[in-house]
Amino acid sequence: MFKSAIFLCERLFAEFPSEVNLQLLAACYLQNNQAYSAYHILKGTQTAQSRYLFAISCFQMDLLSEAETALCNANEPGGEIPNGAAGHYLLGLIYRYTDRKKSAIHHFRLALSIDPLLWAAYEELSVLGAAEEATAVFGEAAALCIQKQYLHQGAATPDLQISSEDYNLVSLRNFSSEDACPRQVKHTQGNSYRDIPGNYHGAAVSSGAASQPQNGGPSPFYNTPSPMASHLSGVAPPPLCRNVQPNGSTLNTENTDGSPRSVVNTTIQAPRRKFVDEGKLRKISGRLFSDSGPRRSTRLSGDSRANTNANASVVAGNGTNNSSKYHGSSKLSSVALRTVTLRKGQPRANENIEEGLRNEAFDDARANMAPVTSSSVPSGDVRSLGQDGATVLVGGVAISGSKIIIGASEVLGLLRILGEGFRLSCLYRCQDALDAYLRLPHKHYNTGWVMSQIGKAHFELVDYLEAKQAFSLAHRVSPYSLEGMDVYSTVLYHLKEDTKLSYLAQELISTDRLAPQSWCAMGNCYSLQKDHETALKNFQRAVQLNPRFAYAHTLCGHEYVALEDFENGIKSYQNALRIDYRHYNAWYGLGMIYLRQEKFEFSEHHFGMAFQINSRSSVIMSFLGTALHALKKSEDAIKMMDRAILADKKNPLPMYQKANILMGLEKFDDALEVLEELKEYAPRESSVHALMGKIYKRCNMHEKAMLHFGIALDLKPSAIDVATIKAAIEKLHVPDE
Amino acid sequence: MATESSESEEEGKITGGNQHLIVEDDLREMGKKAAWSVSSCKTGNGVSSVRDDNLETYWQSDGAQPHLVNIQFQKKVKLQLVVLFVDFKLDESYTPSKISIRAGDGFHNLKEIKTVELVKPTGWVYLSLSGNDPRETFVNTFMLQIAVLSNHLNGRDTHVRQIKVYGPRPNSIPHQPFQFTSREFITYSIVR
Repeated sequence: MFKSAIFLCERLFAEFPSEVNLQLLAACYLQNNQAYSAYHILKGTQTAQSRYLFAISCFQMDLLSEAETALCNANEPGGEIPNGAAGHYLLGLIYRYTDRKKSAIHHFRLALSIDPLLWAAYEELSVLGAAEEATAVFGEAAALCIQKQYLHQGAATPDLQISSEDYNLVSLRNFSSEDACPRQVKHTQGNSYRDIPGNYHGAAVSSGAASQPQNGGPSPFYNTPSPMASHLSGVAPPPLCRNVQPNGSTLNTENTDGSPRSVVNTTIQAPRRKFVDEGKLRKISGRLFSDSGPRRSTRLSGDSRANTNANASVVAGNGTNNSSKYHGSSKLSSVALRTVTLRKGQPRANENIEEGLRNEAFDDARANMAPVTSSSVPSGDVRSLGQDGATVLVGGVAISGSKIIIGASEVLGLLRILGEGFRLSCLYRCQDALDAYLRLPHKHYNTGWVMSQIGKAHFELVDYLEAKQAFSLAHRVSPYSLEGMDVYSTVLYHLKEDTKLSYLAQELISTDRLAPQSWCAMGNCYSLQKDHETALKNFQRAVQLNPRFAYAHTLCGHEYVALEDFENGIKSYQNALRIDYRHYNAWYGLGMIYLRQEKFEFSEHHFGMAFQINSRSSVIMSFLGTALHALKKSEDAIKMMDRAILADKKNPLPMYQKANILMGLEKFDDALEVLEELKEYAPRESSVHALMGKIYKRCNMHEKAMLHFGIALDLKPSAIDVATIKAAIEKLHVPDE
Repeated sequence: MATESSESEEEGKITGGNQHLIVEDDLREMGKKAAWSVSSCKTGNGVSSVRDDNLETYWQSDGAQPHLVNIQFQKKVKLQLVVLFVDFKLDESYTPSKISIRAGDGFHNLKEIKTVELVKPTGWVYLSLSGNDPRETFVNTFMLQIAVLSNHLNGRDTHVRQIKVYGPRPNSIPHQPFQFTSREFITYSIVR
């Protein structure tokens, strides 16, 4: 429905060129993935909301510096960031991608403090390694914060009690249940949801009206402003995308009984944001933004429809003045939307109410720049209702403040567990993370996201079988979600399961051709078959699809190294690190390249960085040890190997490396001891026997050497090794001659 | 590396040839890193035809025998196998008959390492560069030269449709004396 929306909006803007309408138009463009159009029309605007929308368009077009200036003008350092938590989050992302970690962390923290349910901000903090403990972030203070926001919103005007009649009780019920879990995306039956439209409050201030139905901002977690019944409520115009991602938006057009104006969906899509908005119904005549819509609806409703869609009556009172933004767009909203049906036929009363509303909205708007959630409640109302213990009129059903706190606490309890798990897995304390996730209730545990996090944790613990289980469950439960599937493909690569891997890759590509994870899986498939050039092409495709996906860069790096193109390999790894400084795989990759090039100091440095980030990986420790040994710091090397052996009993590599080092130090007996132990663990490993043979040869124990070389050859080593071993055998005979 | 259709090697004679190119997994093609040149060629049938993975196109020489294909690497590489696609049925008197492979540091010090006589070959012909000694599994060299000394039916010029050069795969983990063979070792040996 975007085409109609855009068209009508453009007509609206031509007719009444005001800033609010401009914002509406920009929002339409953004919804329709036309960030460049939004960029052009918003260039130079100054109001907070416009600046926010402009920043979003710049961000989507990858013009990060402009986005940054729009959000926080360097000339006025004390200026407020538009749109509260959402604005801070966007600014945080910009700082993150322009390499200013500290500022990014600062803004993410601010965003979380304003809106504790802004999960994406907590995720970003974890990835940057700077997240505080989940209990602190999602704790009591957060619950109080949420409650306050609800109360603010809640105060519906008592005058509009009437509205209750019209409310769709079902939706009400939904709403209240939703209260408890705002995060869940639910479609309440047939209600229009809304997506978070931009917070047009800014505009509203100028034009005076509008209560925003939603809270602005792309930030998805809004506890939606509830239906707050009162008059405001924006209607959510028809479509609602919920998911902001370009891939995923689905239009829900169910609503709108066909009124063309449905437009105004001013939800803005933030790139890659998860939306969690649930159908908050918007009851109440909201207005949302539709300007054109309302006008027409106003007119129409004024004519006949005075009944149900209430706004009409309300609106009728209004002039068709756009600026009033009161548009009852009940029509717009879907069927379920019930807006306040103000007393029909009592225009005068309506008008008063309207006035009242408008004023309230105005106050609200002014008061509400920051808080992200629900904007609509007029602060005035809150005052009138009294603060704590206030009851919020939600859809006509009074919900007491205490219930809000209970609901909020439940949600926060869930977030606490999830947040802690995520934070720990980003710190690579995987066992702790797994324990944290185990505390989740079953129904949450068996979801795609959680299972894939668990898979990742097992992967980092080098426990590939468990990881495979977890990932395959995740994939079964939500086959449409590609998060973590790239790691799944790597797990299958490690386990050398080529059929499963190619099946996975095909499935992922057919699910979503434009997701980098699918191409990563495909690339892993080719890489497993040693076709490194094709694998590289696939990884490059993944990079093209999303240049901010660090793992794709790392995988490109691995392929370059396999093709012995070290220069490009280094570049790829550095790209990965630029995106995510804590991506230890890239540090490891660089260390390996330098090891091959015999630049041992660099190698040690890079392995050291990887080790700092992930201190539990025995593989990294063993390579760090190798580098140390190459630098002749053999004592340290052995210590590191011992640590590696302790860290993971199942990893044979550190023992082997230790034996190697001991041999280099000429401590042959110790080396042989280690190798004997290793032989028990991996009896069919040719290199163990080959190394033993080599040591025996050095010790001049020719018979034993011969024995082990023979076993080594039987175990079918690679061609080079066959040559080396055979040559060694030949040399064995020489002294005997 | 063996062929399915008859390949009998009697004192350096090779007959037959595979229709399909089958090479062991632990070998990889090294030709991409080399500079290829030929002693002479007819316009339109130059050296690129011998590297284009297309069996329809061929290199045709245009001068005196022996006809040479020179493969020069930037650093010393280990080579183990040379595979040519030549077909008597298609090329008749242009099909090479006696081939000599030489290796060295450059044009000034090439030494012959293998000679072979082809008798009516019909596809991919495998020429192993290994000696009998296990220490000589690979030839470690800067340059390889494939010389066509004579053709079937005494033809003057020669056609070669494709040439591939194989060497061993390097150890995926540097600084290890031996490569790993078992699953447990390989799984733990890298971070991806």
